[in-house]
Amino acid sequence: MSKQLISRRKVLRGGAASSLAAPFLHTNKARADKGEIVVASWGGSRTSAMREVMFKPFEAATGIRVRDDGPPEAAKVKAQADSGNITWDVLDTDIPAILTMAKNNLLLPIDYAKLDPGKLDKIPKVLHHEYGLGHLIYGFNIVYNTKTFPTGRHPQSWADVWNGDKYKGGRSFPFRGGISPQLEVALIADGVPIDKVYPLDIERAWRAMDRLRPLVSKWYANHAEAIQLLSKGEVDVCCTVGPRGIVAKREGAPVDVEYAGGKLAPDNWALVRGGKNLDAVYQFLNFVIDGKVQAEFAKRVPYGPSSSDAFNHLTEIEAKDLITSPDNLTKQFWNDIAWWGAVGPDGKTNIEAQTERYAKWMVQRS
Amino acid sequence: MDGAEIVRQPRWIWRSALPDGDRKPWRARPGLMILGAVLFLGALYLLPMLILTGWAFRGPNGGFTFAQARRLLSEGAYHTAFITTFRTAIITMLVCALIGYPLAYLMATTSPRARTLLMAGIMIPFWTSVLARSLAWIILLGKRGILNEWLVASGLVSAPLPLLFNSLGVQIGMVHVLLPFMILPIWAVLMRLDQSLPAAARSLGASPMRAFIHVVLPLSLPGLLAGCVLVFMLAVGFYITPALLGGDRDITIASLIEMVVRDLLDWPFGAMLSLSLMALVGGVFAFGALFIGAERLTSAEGRT
Repeated sequence: MSKQLISRRKVLRGGAASSLAAPFLHTNKARADKGEIVVASWGGSRTSAMREVMFKPFEAATGIRVRDDGPPEAAKVKAQADSGNITWDVLDTDIPAILTMAKNNLLLPIDYAKLDPGKLDKIPKVLHHEYGLGHLIYGFNIVYNTKTFPTGRHPQSWADVWNGDKYKGGRSFPFRGGISPQLEVALIADGVPIDKVYPLDIERAWRAMDRLRPLVSKWYANHAEAIQLLSKGEVDVCCTVGPRGIVAKREGAPVDVEYAGGKLAPDNWALVRGGKNLDAVYQFLNFVIDGKVQAEFAKRVPYGPSSSDAFNHLTEIEAKDLITSPDNLTKQFWNDIAWWGAVGPDGKTNIEAQTERYAKWMVQRS
Repeated sequence: MDGAEIVRQPRWIWRSALPDGDRKPWRARPGLMILGAVLFLGALYLLPMLILTGWAFRGPNGGFTFAQARRLLSEGAYHTAFITTFRTAIITMLVCALIGYPLAYLMATTSPRARTLLMAGIMIPFWTSVLARSLAWIILLGKRGILNEWLVASGLVSAPLPLLFNSLGVQIGMVHVLLPFMILPIWAVLMRLDQSLPAAARSLGASPMRAFIHVVLPLSLPGLLAGCVLVFMLAVGFYITPALLGGDRDITIASLIEMVVRDLLDWPFGAMLSLSLMALVGGVFAFGALFIGAERLTSAEGRT
């Protein structure tokens, strides 16, 4: 595959472009003139909104073409790197994936000196990771069915979610699909305050998970499934991505979100090692970390903007349900990347070790 | 691999298939005809399999290692997942055979018009995506699904029955998805069955049941076995349906392989899990072939 491409380019460079090769010549020229970057994201309304408020204005401003692709799974990046045919430049992905990819030497560290300090200062320091810059905030929150639990009489803390006597109904928690076990919320349910969660008391957390297990009627494999089950009333309260609950709420589903005790986590811009157009990539980053661009995105897809400046461009009503609104932010805590990424004596990161433990815990009969 | 050998070997293919004197030059070289298939399988199946085997047994520094195999042997959780997988596959196969055989028999003996209707009824869901079919079961069997709403409203049960997110849900979903693979081979055999044979049994005084058990059933056994092999092999690798319809006791090995490969990027161990699954399935197949005969297992043709 790559061999063929090289020879094709050689033919073109040699000026032997016949009429057959003309279409390729055209795209090559476009690349050479203004450049192109490929952004791998998750598709759907997210990518459409990105195209509208990020890609198109960026293309108009710089002449650099932005192509989208995805989904930006670590295994796909590894396959690209292993085959020597790296086609992606920028990834839009979460910290667990970034940690795994960084460990496998698939990512470039972000050179923060190349980013606009004025825009960067508006983004909390906790989101300036070596290999990823947080841009879109999601979180693991209490998302509930409003028919079962009218707002006000809903589970208002993780301890309530763990309380099967007071709050009857099926729970749904994530398993598989690259989602690590939610040990932090297990600890909070067990009485740990949100600012004392890290470093995790792993054994205590798993004991709390043991108590949760009989209350869970479905371990879901992806967040869309969780919202689907919740909207249909198959389960009554989920630990899932709050902003997805807000999307469902806006579409009229009987779903709402309790932000108390939520675990905040960023989706990040990350750079693929071996990407060809680094200069264009930094231009792109400087464009999209702007507060106004993030505000426009949040109007279309109600995820939390990472830049506090975004809320200067949003009305109070627009901001109310957003996970990073000043009010909601104080009830939640940030996922501790350093703790999850720390490598234990067996050479595994905490996230690897706990994800594997999760699978074994699930398979083994309790 | 020595290509010349492959070219020379299967002469009988064309000798038996072509009338004498009708040989064109290209037909005289049957190797060319199967060369495409050999290259196709070699490049897209055999080669990846060899690479996979390499991953499973190569140590981090290049040497040969049994580390992954030892890890697999020492981890009880993976054994449980293997047992769950095989248990689910065997039950699915048996239920498919129990439902599929009568249906296939009905299709083979009924009027052509009814047969067309039955065939459509079997094939149309077969062309629907597995995902859509699995989700349809949630709408039908869920806590607030059609069936439970009706049962509760009619007072037959006081609380919704747990039909989903457990082994029952997985079995219902898998039987539904895999049933055509059981019905079609049995039906193909029954259609070719010489109808004068059961008729002869009847004329010699056998009851319909006796004629069925002693004549029709043995003659249709190859179709039944082929159906069982197909359903079993597909069921062992099933992933979406157990994930969507199952509970925490229905986690299959395919699910764990996905997690190991995609989330942990532990490709050597993922390769070891995949190879073990393949070896176990291959073992079952070899065991079956030993007792039943490989031809009967792989062929859906009835022999009279």
